[in-house]
Amino acid sequence: MAKNLNVKISPVSRVEGHGDLIINIKDKKVEQLTFRIPESPRFFEAMMVGRKYDEPSHIASRICGICSVAHTCASIKATEKALGIIPSPQTISLRKLVYHHENVQSNVLHVYFLAAPDFFGVGSVIPLVETHPEVVNIALRTKKMANDMIRIIGGRAVHPIRIVVGGFTKLPTEEEMVQMKEMLQGSYPDFEETLGVLKTLNIPDFERETEYISINDPVDYALYNGNIKSSDGWEIDDQNYLDKINEKIVQHSTSKHCWASRDAFMVGALARFNNNHDKLTDNAKRYAEELGLKAPCYNPFMNNIAQFVEIIHSVDDSIRLIDEILEEGIDKDKAMVDIIPRAGRGVGVVEAPRGLLIHDYTYNDRGRVEKANMIIPTGMNYANIEKDMDAMVPTVIDKSEDEIRLACEMLIRAYDPCISCSTHFLNVKLINK
Amino acid sequence: MISSGKKISKEKGYGWTNIRIVGFGNKFRSDDGIGIRVIKELEKLEFFKDIEIIDGGTSGIDLVFWAKNCEKIIIIDAVDTGEKIGDVVNIKVDDIEEFVRKDYRSLSLHDLNLADVLKLIKALKINTSISIIGIKPKSIDFGDKLSPEVERKIPAIISEIKKETHK
Repeated sequence: MAKNLNVKISPVSRVEGHGDLIINIKDKKVEQLTFRIPESPRFFEAMMVGRKYDEPSHIASRICGICSVAHTCASIKATEKALGIIPSPQTISLRKLVYHHENVQSNVLHVYFLAAPDFFGVGSVIPLVETHPEVVNIALRTKKMANDMIRIIGGRAVHPIRIVVGGFTKLPTEEEMVQMKEMLQGSYPDFEETLGVLKTLNIPDFERETEYISINDPVDYALYNGNIKSSDGWEIDDQNYLDKINEKIVQHSTSKHCWASRDAFMVGALARFNNNHDKLTDNAKRYAEELGLKAPCYNPFMNNIAQFVEIIHSVDDSIRLIDEILEEGIDKDKAMVDIIPRAGRGVGVVEAPRGLLIHDYTYNDRGRVEKANMIIPTGMNYANIEKDMDAMVPTVIDKSEDEIRLACEMLIRAYDPCISCSTHFLNVKLINK
Repeated sequence: MISSGKKISKEKGYGWTNIRIVGFGNKFRSDDGIGIRVIKELEKLEFFKDIEIIDGGTSGIDLVFWAKNCEKIIIIDAVDTGEKIGDVVNIKVDDIEEFVRKDYRSLSLHDLNLADVLKLIKALKINTSISIIGIKPKSIDFGDKLSPEVERKIPAIISEIKKETHK
C-alpha cells in the first residue's frame, strides 16, 4: 500500500443516484475527504410555489421512484397541518398500512439487490441468480408483495394516486383487505430462510458513535407520525424541526449539510432502531436478536440488518392493522373530509425508508403554496457519511487500493443513499498520486 | 396473487396474446419525462384500449414483474443512443448482450439501470419479447416541459409502438 493515495470513486454503483467520493491520503493521513453531490436539489421546492393545495403531493410523489409514498405522505401531512384538515382515523390506519409497504419494498431493494452483492463477493445482483437463486427469488417475491399492497391501497405501485389531501379517492374493499392479509401471512417462510442467509454474512466491524434522529410515537414503531427524537436526549414536536435541525451550504455539494446537537447525525433504519427498538413487534425483536443487532448499535453497516428487521415488523404490524380495519368495517363516508382553503404553515414529517423526511409548506388564503422547504434523509446523512469515512479510512489504510475502494463504497451503500431524491448519479474513482 | 393485468387476445387484432406498454421517466426532468408523456397520449387512443399501459415512473426493478406473464413488453424511455437529439430508436432486446454492448443508457431509473434489469430478466429466464422505443433527449434538467425537438417526435414514437404491437 502506497503511503500516498488519491481516491476518487466516481460513480459509486448500486446506490439510487449519482455523486462522487474523493479521498486524498498523504503520509498515511487523510488530507481531504469529500462526498460530493453535483446537481441542484431545489427545483421541486420552486415547483410547489403557486400550486393549489391538492397538487403538491402528486408533484412530490415524482421526486423519487423508490420513496414516492413517503414524499406523498410528507407532502399531504404538511398541507393538512397548514389547512387545519383532520383526516379520519380510518384514513390514518390505511396510510400507516400503505406506508409499511413502502418501507418493505425499499428495504428489500436495498438489502437484497444493492447491498447483498457486497457481502456475497459479487459485483451485482445478476451473478446471485446463479449462486444464490433462493435469495433472489425471495427478494422478488417480497418486493412484489409490497408492490401489490401499495397498488391495492394507493391505486398504483409507483407514484400512488389515491392517497390525497383529506383522505383517499378510492378505498380498498374488505375482500382485498383479506387478500392482502393472506399475502402477508404467506411471506414468513421467506423471512426465516433469509434469516439463515443473513446470519452467515460477515458485517464489517466498524463503529463510530453519533447522534441518531428519528420520529417517535408512544405506541408505534414510528414511520408515519411522531415527534422528532434524538439519541442525545431531546424530543420536539415535528412542527418545530427548525429549533434543532440546521442546514448549511457546503462548497463541494449542491445538497446542504445538516446538523443538530453535534456536527453530524444519522437518520434511517439504524437510527429508528436505536431510538425505538422497544416498540418493534416481538417477532421483529427475535430477528434482531438472532442477527446480533442490539441497541445502541454504532456500526453503520448494521443499517442493512436494521432494514431487514423492519421488514418483519412492517409485515407483523400490517396484519394487526388489517385486522383492526376489518373489525371496524370500511366506511366510504370516512374516505374524505371536507377541505376549506386557508392561510397557514404546516410541516409534514415522516420516516422515509432512508430516514427523516421533512416537507414544510406555507399557504396563502386561497390555498396556494407561497413557500416550500424539503429536507431529504440522504441530505441529513451526508455529513455523517463523511465523518464515518474520516474515522474508517485510517483503519483500512494498510489494505490494497481495491479493498479501500470497496470499503468506502460499502459504507456509502450501507446508508442506502437516495441521491436521486435531490440529484441524479453518483461517481467514485481511485487514482494513485 | 392479485393481478392488475389487462388480458387481450389476438382476436382484438394485435399480434400478441398479451402486451404491456411501460413508460419510464420523471415528468419533472424535462425530456426524461417523454416515456410518461407518451403513455398519457396512448391512453387517449382507441387503438390501445385493450392493452395494459403502465406509468413506470423511475422505478427500475419493477420491470421484472411487468415482464413476467406477458408475451410482449414495449418500453418507452429517454435513451442516450449517442445519435442526434430527438432521434427515435426501436431497440429489439432479443439479444440483451447486444443492448449492453452498444452501451445504450436509460436515463430514468433510480435503482438498477435498465441494462442490469434486462440482464436480470434474462438470468431469471423470463422469455418475454422486449422492445425499447427510445428517444435521445435534449435536456434532463429540472423542468416540466419537453424540448420542442423531442415533443414533435411524439407521433413518430406512437407509430413505432403501433408497429410493435404486431409481430
